Amino acid sequence: MQVTLKVFRYNPEVDKKGHYETYALDVEETERILDLLELVKGHHDGTLSFRRSCAHGVCGSDAIRINGRNMLACKTLVRDVGDRITVEPLLGLKIVKDLIVDMEPFFDNYKKVLPYFINESPLPADGKERLQSPEQRARFDETTKCILCAACTTSCPSFWGSDDYLGPAALVTAHRFIFDSRDEAASERLKIVGETSGLARCHTAYNCTMACPRDIQITKAIGELKLATLTGKVD
Amino acid sequence: MGLKRNVSLAKALRYKGQGPMLTYVLHRIGGLGMAIFVTIHILSTFMGTKVGIFTNSIYENWVFQIFLFFFVLFHVINGLRITLLDLFPTLIEHQREAIWVEWAVFLPVYGLAAFVILRTGLGG
Repeated sequence: MQVTLKVFRYNPEVDKKGHYETYALDVEETERILDLLELVKGHHDGTLSFRRSCAHGVCGSDAIRINGRNMLACKTLVRDVGDRITVEPLLGLKIVKDLIVDMEPFFDNYKKVLPYFINESPLPADGKERLQSPEQRARFDETTKCILCAACTTSCPSFWGSDDYLGPAALVTAHRFIFDSRDEAASERLKIVGETSGLARCHTAYNCTMACPRDIQITKAIGELKLATLTGKVD
Repeated sequence: MGLKRNVSLAKALRYKGQGPMLTYVLHRIGGLGMAIFVTIHILSTFMGTKVGIFTNSIYENWVFQIFLFFFVLFHVINGLRITLLDLFPTLIEHQREAIWVEWAVFLPVYGLAAFVILRTGLGG
């Protein structure tokens, strides 16, 4: 089928501001948007820049805006978006070149919620694993699926409108550790997410949940965090 | 000083967040509109009779009231939905359905009110 691919282009060494370039491509409807970008890069314009790594929806490096919504280029098929496709970089992060954005501010926020396991207690007597029941594991199973693609955070109006809001991805990570029965820093993390740049800035716009390529119920996780900061309970 | 995020209102509004994004935008417009309305309403009482009469003529205009009631009622019902979902996070999985319920409550109530305002306004 014939598709028209409109791509946002910006080269900081040449352009003062971004512009769009359009490519007419002959593709299969089952091809992915990432395949189209590869086609343009390989056969039309080798200077087109975009991130990709695993190309199978696991690494999260190719999150972009496709027809106005955040998606992973490697998980979105042509037939899902039609024959007129516009691809643009994620909103709210500085554009480095074409579809590549500076992810540093995103990861800076991620680091603020202490995204690692904290347990200073001695290991169990057998020196092996800190055991957890299936129910305890299920409590935070959903939020372990995050691949840090930034699709959620850069779809959030509160993130667009605030330089210091942690954003959905950082809050999802906080949820993953706060509700982990083996972790001992829940109260410390609740204090971090309870600050004004944290949960209070979530206004339940729900864009994050709809943008998540892993189908994580992000707004629900944030809701659970809000309740935990009120009650102090993380059961 | 501008935000580092550099997302203009036009760019933000072009994001296709669908139903939930629409409720978010309407909620903001309603909140901002009400804040401006109440501020002008209070200030106009201190600014002399002429200003008071002029602002009153705007408030009493049925076209203005139809818009005002739309945003006030939407703000109230949407705020109620958000509050309920915040208090009971397990319900957030049914966010889409909650928005449909919200519209199902809003539309008849607003329709009835708009009809009354319109009939009063046109009837004199």
